Order: sequence, then structure tokens, then C-alpha cells
Amino acid sequence: MKAELVNPFIESVQEIFKTMLGSEAKRGKVEITDSHDSPGELVALIGISGRATGTCALSLPASTALKIIGQLMSTEYTEMNDDVTDGIAEVVNMVGGGAKAKMNVDGAKPMDLSLPTVVSGDNYNVKYPTKTIWLEVPFESSHGPFVIRITFEDEK
Amino acid sequence: MKALVVDDSAVMRKVIIGALNRADITDVDQAADGNESVTMCKDGDYDLVLMDWNMPNMLGIDAVRAIRELGKSMPIIMVTTEAEKGRIVEALKAGAQNYIIKPFEPATIIEKIQATIESANA
Repeated sequence: MKAELVNPFIESVQEIFKTMLGSEAKRGKVEITDSHDSPGELVALIGISGRATGTCALSLPASTALKIIGQLMSTEYTEMNDDVTDGIAEVVNMVGGGAKAKMNVDGAKPMDLSLPTVVSGDNYNVKYPTKTIWLEVPFESSHGPFVIRITFEDEK
Repeated sequence: MKALVVDDSAVMRKVIIGALNRADITDVDQAADGNESVTMCKDGDYDLVLMDWNMPNMLGIDAVRAIRELGKSMPIIMVTTEAEKGRIVEALKAGAQNYIIKPFEPATIIEKIQATIESANA
């Protein structure tokens, strides 16, 4: 998996913050991790398939999720609810969609996106295949911190 | 003017409805998947449809084709994360009139809605 694969995801995140939230998402250093622990109270997952096959995971604390979706909806959310989880699912959908468009090669068939999944709670574990290696990018924003992780199979 | 917003995300439906309201379109129904949207278009009389692409039960692109097969000619705007040129061409061939890529600035969606309506009325 090439480290440059993470760049379309970084750009996609930054576009979402700029266009829909009117703010900036500052990225930190890209790291490689094989950890299965989610760095947040929520994790939103989306799959990409076709010419490249992989997964993008958006992990964030509940506080960041409440602020992001609160701004999107012009509402103050004080606790997790269906709107917030639905909204975070849509955010990872936009991250995945934007990234796959940037990864697209002219003339090639567009890759496919899975429907997004959100897992949340105080005590959960998401099991990935044993040898999964992630590229991990931490972000800071005025809404709080969050992490994007991606993993891709090597292109055949 | 009566509009139908089709998206499996309730939050995105609310965002789009907010934009429609700012464009003075306040009579708006919602559908959460392509299948539901086809049924609603069959039974209802909509002047505008805003359609997501990736949804359970029926993709938005398939819903666009099905709505056209019903003989419905109202303008349909895709509102989707599918941003590749090939997808845009596919949507226009299926019968959509315009295309909005998520994420979008609120002003952009209002402009595209107004331009689509003006074009349809010309």
C-alpha cells in the first residue's frame, strides 16, 4: 500500500470542512499502524471497491461529532442521537466519494462506494482482518480532533 | 412548486430541504431510497426531484431511469458524492438535468436549483 494513497482522503476531508462547515481541518503527521483499537467513541466506515479495494475509517470523540453535525444542522446537540450518527455516516460517505474521484484514472470505470456504517458506544471493538495495516492521519479542527484511517489491498 | 428530496441520509435531506426553503420552495416531500422515490413519483405530481446516487433498495441512477419510464418529465438533479465524469455522463443519459457534487456550498445548490428550474421553464 503506497503512502500517497492517503492524499486524496486528506484533500477530501479538507474540502468538506471548507465547503460545508466553513472551517479548516489541519492534518497532523501520517503514521502507519496495525492497531485494531479505534481512537474515538465513534467510528464511521466506508468501503471502496473496483480498481482499488480498501476501507476508510473516520474515528472521532462524541464531542467532535456533536459539534460537526450541530453546525451542519444549525442545531446544538448535547448528546448522541440518530441525527448525529446519520450525519457522521454522511461525512464519511463524502470523504470516500471525494477521495475515490481524486483516485480515478481518466477513462477507467469509476470505483464503487459501499453504504457507510457507524459504530458507536462506550465499549466496542471493531475486528478487522488480522494483518490489516492502516495509514492514519490525525486532524485538528475548531469542532475538535478526529482521525482518518485507510487501508487498501495492493492493486493487482 | 412541489419538490421531492431523495437521500438515505436524514441529515442530508434536511440540509437540502433547508436550501430549497431558501430558494422559496417550501412544499417538499422526502424519500429515503430509490424505490420509495419511484413510488412517490408514480402517485404524486412533483415539479422537481433531487436524487442521491448510493442508496439501499434502489440506486438513485436506477430510480431516475424508472421515473422516466413512468413518463414523468420533471427536472431531476443528482445530489451525490459520485464525482467522476463518467458518472455525470451516465446520469445525464439516464434523464437527469443537472448534477451537484457533495460536499457543496449552500449557495451552489441554490444556484443550481434555480438554474435547473429556469431551464425547464424556458
